[in-house]
Amino acid sequence: MSELIVAQPPRTPQAVKENVIQQYLTFVLGREIFALNILNVKEIIEYGQLTEVPKMPVFIRGVINLRGAVVPVIDMAARFDKPSAQITRKTCIVIIEVAHTGGTQVVGVMVDAVNEVVEIESGNIEPAPSFGANIRADFIEGMGKIDGKFVIILNVNNVLSMDEVAALAGSIVQ
Amino acid sequence: MQLDESLQIYIIESRDLLQQMEEALLTLEQNPEDEEKINAIFRAAHTIKGSAGLFGLDFIISFTHVAESVLDKVRNGQVPVTEEIVALFLEVGDFICKLIDHVAEGTTPDADTMVVNDGLINRLNVYLGAPRATAAALPVASQNEASGVVESLDGVETSCWHISLRFGPDTFRSGMDPFSFLRYMNTMGKIVHVATITQALPSLEEMDAESCYLGFEISYESQASKVEIESIFDFVRDDCDIHILPPHSQVQHYIDLIDRLSNEEMKLGEILVKCGTLTPTELEAALVQQADVATVDKQPIGQTLINAQLVQPAVVNAALEKQRQVKESKNSESNYIRIDANKLDELINLVGELIIAGAGATLIADKLGDGAMNEATSNISTLVEQVRDSALALRMVQIGATFSRFNRVVRDVSKELGKDIRLEISGEETELDKTVVEKISDPLTHLVRNSMDHGIESAEVRVPKGKPAYGTLKLNAFHDSGSIVIEVSDDGAGLNRDKILAKAIDKGLVSAEQSLSDKEIYNLIFEAGFSTADAVSNLSGRGVGMDVVKRNIQALRGTIDIQSTPGLGCTMSIRLPLTLAIIDGFLVGVADSSYVVPLDMVVECIELSAEDYASSVSDKRNFINLRGEVLPYLKLRDEFECKGEPPIRQNIVVMQYANQKIGLVVDKLIGEFQTVIKPLGKVFEHVKGIGGFTILGSGSVALVLDVPRMMQLANMESIKEQALVES
Repeated sequence: MSELIVAQPPRTPQAVKENVIQQYLTFVLGREIFALNILNVKEIIEYGQLTEVPKMPVFIRGVINLRGAVVPVIDMAARFDKPSAQITRKTCIVIIEVAHTGGTQVVGVMVDAVNEVVEIESGNIEPAPSFGANIRADFIEGMGKIDGKFVIILNVNNVLSMDEVAALAGSIVQ
Repeated sequence: MQLDESLQIYIIESRDLLQQMEEALLTLEQNPEDEEKINAIFRAAHTIKGSAGLFGLDFIISFTHVAESVLDKVRNGQVPVTEEIVALFLEVGDFICKLIDHVAEGTTPDADTMVVNDGLINRLNVYLGAPRATAAALPVASQNEASGVVESLDGVETSCWHISLRFGPDTFRSGMDPFSFLRYMNTMGKIVHVATITQALPSLEEMDAESCYLGFEISYESQASKVEIESIFDFVRDDCDIHILPPHSQVQHYIDLIDRLSNEEMKLGEILVKCGTLTPTELEAALVQQADVATVDKQPIGQTLINAQLVQPAVVNAALEKQRQVKESKNSESNYIRIDANKLDELINLVGELIIAGAGATLIADKLGDGAMNEATSNISTLVEQVRDSALALRMVQIGATFSRFNRVVRDVSKELGKDIRLEISGEETELDKTVVEKISDPLTHLVRNSMDHGIESAEVRVPKGKPAYGTLKLNAFHDSGSIVIEVSDDGAGLNRDKILAKAIDKGLVSAEQSLSDKEIYNLIFEAGFSTADAVSNLSGRGVGMDVVKRNIQALRGTIDIQSTPGLGCTMSIRLPLTLAIIDGFLVGVADSSYVVPLDMVVECIELSAEDYASSVSDKRNFINLRGEVLPYLKLRDEFECKGEPPIRQNIVVMQYANQKIGLVVDKLIGEFQTVIKPLGKVFEHVKGIGGFTILGSGSVALVLDVPRMMQLANMESIKEQALVES
């Protein structure tokens, strides 16, 4: 045991920051590619058997039955004020757990297609531009460089802020 | 602070006991002759003190001890049961409860608490005549014993008790610790000498670390009576070998003790000497005598027992009585098991899943059309239904316990107000879900206090009106079409319609021109910031409360209603769903979606005739003639903004809730099924008209409609429209 510990080079906090490689799930919305930190993702399921909830904002597509639990499904494209997605063979629901005041909530996010899991070094992530990305700045965690192209890495807790979503859902009805 | 499990149990049990004590005290106040109740109170105090000793909670022991001494006098008839005594003990109960709270929080009482502590002890000491610590307070029984035996020639010299303890092997396993007993003994007297007996300890290989092999020979100096000393060991009496010899016992008794523990005989004699219980001469004499007895009398034990009985019949009787009580309480305990509420919730969740899975299986069996398969699944669903019912019944508790808590509230508040108010309780056996019970207690307290403060008039006002001088407050509960109704009624002045209206106009809640029905006016008292009491009293009148009451009740999917007759009284009815988790549902279809309404509310289903539909489209006449009755209806298609044309044949589901009937127009009637309500979750928490989700046999999700809320929204809308028209 002691040998093992000695064998490891001492890590300074600085070194940790530079060397961290994290995994991201990339997916397609319309013609754009986005990425999500894989740690947020619980599972990915095929689209199917969605029940609509009446009088909801467009981005809340409805609810599905995930092995006995009722999970709300959010249309990511509509959440970005883009035309809501068409259902195709490739449409998937990414199941994500988000924290909110007073607990956590499991939600499904509808995306047009799921691509792959990629590794991005923290050195290859640029801060979000203040404008020009065409979606709200607080939705963006950073711009990841993959094969020389920029991919928007989403800030899940802001995109799926349950307090905001609940407030929007409530306001439509009243 | 992490409390260990047994302390947690102690806290729960003590609170229960204090509750029982309070109930017994209140009964006693009405009926001072009730010996049963006095005993119950004594037992409660005694158990709390005894168990406190196990955990070394000295502040509880020292306080409860004084209270117990007074209770003992009450029990013996030395102190009569008076109103003051009851009032004092109600305070004592509250205070012990506070001490228990300290234990629960893991804190020790602060200075303020100790002031109360000393105050109460002083008041209790008044009944004891003299401070407890002096020898004058020595219990009568032990004095007799002592003086009686001293005269006998065989009595040994020492003035200490001798206690011989052999703990049973299961002591640790039952959560007991021998050390805590010794520690507790020190609170009632002084341990002069302890000799630890380790002979039972096996060799290391054979030893079980969880078993207790210890024994103690203790020389104990105490003024306590034998019963009191015995009571120290109440918790371990069953599996332990305990011998208690009073001071100056006859040598014969020691011999007897040595005989009974004969496998340790050689040593025991020496230990007794070491303890100072026997002098060496006494031991010698004893051993000689033992030899004599062994040859002459074959049954020394029986003999001694008889002797003992002759000497201390009171002690033996008391012991027998005690044993009987312990047995009795054990019998009634064995009928109950304490379960963690979370485990129960888990079970009910699983039963919920089972129901959904069962419905899925039935659906598939139906499709297959296999007779045997159908029969099997229908058998299973019958059983599942029973399992569901009994699982739910586990959560159901009678409302009686909640109601009886109000005896105290009514008593205290009526004293405070100087009004004579009597509480009448009925329907205690009505059952409802535990979570509902817990949450209803606060709103009920508000209503009860309100009725007593504002509703019931003072005796001077009542008598000229021809009413009895005492006011009556009634709590009643009953089941009514799938919900439970709880009524708080008083025979006071009733709500003052004009005063409420004037106040509401004054506060800007309504405009002066609005014409309102009596009911609407009464409901104004639930508006935030509304209060009609001219003077703000300690109890109510601050204008917070009624709106909180209403919100709390709505949070439980319930409603509250007022009936008031001026001069005769007022009744508040709270209507709550029986359970929050599983319901019998009625499935209906609108457009492509399925919705569930609670079956208990469905009265009947009728077809919406073509002409009625036409008139609803052309003239917006959303009501039909139901056998001479006007039945307003809501079209779910419109409510939910469904796209597409309605089918040619539409149906009306007639729903009833709280004496109001409405119709829901749906496309399809699918049928009844049991369903588990899944909570809305964060996203949909503000959505009105939907009570939850449920999963159908097919695996798809259906929405459960919150019919009462929909009715309310519809009513509000029509009031709004009316206001628009009028303005």
